[in-house]
Amino acid sequence: MHQYRFIPHTADISIEVEADTLEELFLASLLGMNQILKEDFCLHAPNPSAEQDVSIRSVDNTTLLVDFLSAVLTHTYLEKTMFCRIDFSALNANYVEATIKGVPVDFFEDDIKAVTYHGAEVNRNKDGSWSTAIIFDI
Amino acid sequence: MKKVEKKDLQQINSFTWEIPKSYRPDMLVPARIYALEELVDAITGDRSLDQLVNVATLPGIVKASMVMPDVHQGYGFPIGGVAATRYPDGVISPGGIGYDINCGVRLLISELNYDQVKSRLEDLSKELYKQIPSGLGQGGSLQLTTNEIDQVLRKGAAWAVEQGMGTEEDLLHAESQARLEAADPSKVSPQAKKRGSDQLGTIGAGNHFVEVDRVEAIFDEAAAEAYGLQLNQMVILIHTGSRGLGHQTATDYLRTMMGAMSKYDIQPADRELACVPLSSPEGQDYFHAMCAAANFAWCNRQVITEEARRAWSNIFGRAGGKLHVLYDVAHNIAKIEEHQLNGERSKVIVHRKGATRAFGPGFAELPAAYQPVGQPVLIPGSMGTASYVLRGTKTSMKTSFGSSCHGAGRRLSRRAAKRQVDAGSLLKKLRHKGIYVQAGSHRGVTEEAPIAYKDVDLVVETVHQADIARKVARLRPACVIKG
Repeated sequence: MHQYRFIPHTADISIEVEADTLEELFLASLLGMNQILKEDFCLHAPNPSAEQDVSIRSVDNTTLLVDFLSAVLTHTYLEKTMFCRIDFSALNANYVEATIKGVPVDFFEDDIKAVTYHGAEVNRNKDGSWSTAIIFDI
Repeated sequence: MKKVEKKDLQQINSFTWEIPKSYRPDMLVPARIYALEELVDAITGDRSLDQLVNVATLPGIVKASMVMPDVHQGYGFPIGGVAATRYPDGVISPGGIGYDINCGVRLLISELNYDQVKSRLEDLSKELYKQIPSGLGQGGSLQLTTNEIDQVLRKGAAWAVEQGMGTEEDLLHAESQARLEAADPSKVSPQAKKRGSDQLGTIGAGNHFVEVDRVEAIFDEAAAEAYGLQLNQMVILIHTGSRGLGHQTATDYLRTMMGAMSKYDIQPADRELACVPLSSPEGQDYFHAMCAAANFAWCNRQVITEEARRAWSNIFGRAGGKLHVLYDVAHNIAKIEEHQLNGERSKVIVHRKGATRAFGPGFAELPAAYQPVGQPVLIPGSMGTASYVLRGTKTSMKTSFGSSCHGAGRRLSRRAAKRQVDAGSLLKKLRHKGIYVQAGSHRGVTEEAPIAYKDVDLVVETVHQADIARKVARLRPACVIKG
């Protein structure tokens, strides 16, 4: 199980994300980001035709998630591609190695300037699930 | 963490409030708010003052963390924030500048008045929309090589002028003459350069715009005359920044700082306040990259100036005369400046995150005609309300590190605005008020509707009464071009 929901923020866009596993938390966060870039695109995305390798080391799992999303966002803009899938090779508290897979697009519906660290806190809940908030600078 | 409430504020006078240093043990200086009482409830309604208190904990911060009356919640720093840190060992924080490095505003003044253009406003709005690329993923007509990008990053708007896009006079009418000398292109990542390679001359999306206004009121005849402003004159306001190049540069260096902070024993109250001493290798690299991205933004506004001139000429021909640059200001930037501290002139690192430099009369960098009245301060409002031209003062130099507000300030979230506003009705209403809007999407129109913003008149009235910037003229929109 993984899910995200939008929560009010004066200037920017904020999401709350919950998932059963850390991998799913990363995926749900990516899908939340993609929902801003192109609404519902990932729900009906065709089979991926483009891929990029991403490997990141960060100081903790919260920064790792934000740095991972930032890296995907950079590829999204540089390759004009919506990446809706992640194949993980490695994921732990401060390292991720993955292949992101996606589909080239003609345009985006909104412009995300950046994925911010503000308010983000990856938590392991009592029931073993994972959660965080993420604020995107729009 | 407890939220700052109105009861936590000490009122200093009718436009200044303070949160004392004793409010939280980790505060190094008090937090100061410039706002008329009518604005305070809205300001305490979100988390912007908690963010201001966090800023007051930054290593090396001096005097006070400050917010202007257009303050609203940001991510880390509040938008509308000013923070100065000790030079050179105080910190520099990318969050205190923002992802859109040197987002700013440029005002062009025309030789025509409202009566001379009113029958052609719709044509003008369409021509501006055609000439100035806007919206998402919209590249410009310039495709720069890596060598050309490096030149832009080093030279700022002067690069465009060298290519025939503008005049030397344009450069003199801009903050820092549209170029920061400390820029080092080698400190900007290849990815950032690639993102910027086709974005020069584009406004992008979000709250960025190009707007044609008429001068609706003059408050200060002497300053208006010095700036070349007259009642009913038509002017063009350009609001944009460093586009993807700046966003990527900020992202790159926030990540660097996140890993480097432990070396300097820095643990910020919020991850987004990641910072390092300016004098550190990471601080120096960021500063030189930030200056380069700022130069890209100034060049961007210079190229857009030429696009606006082309549109103006296509509609009005020779009879349209010239479009002159009145001034260009940055409102997301950090600069090393000299200010009065404890009775002495001291160098400080001034962060302006959604705040405008507002230097007073006699500042040597200003064009001769502006020296007696001070630096022009450009305050864009929302489409459908008003924008302002103010002038910097000697008071701002003493009280706010020569800084003022930067806009109306958001009141509603984008989603709330979308829920409350119907794009079709809004466009009709604006058209009824004589405002022609050309926009890439209905989404852009609803998110930036006037209802989403604070009352710009109250914001400007605050800085006027506080004497950190004085009213010169009010501008009324006639055409709005948005992404």
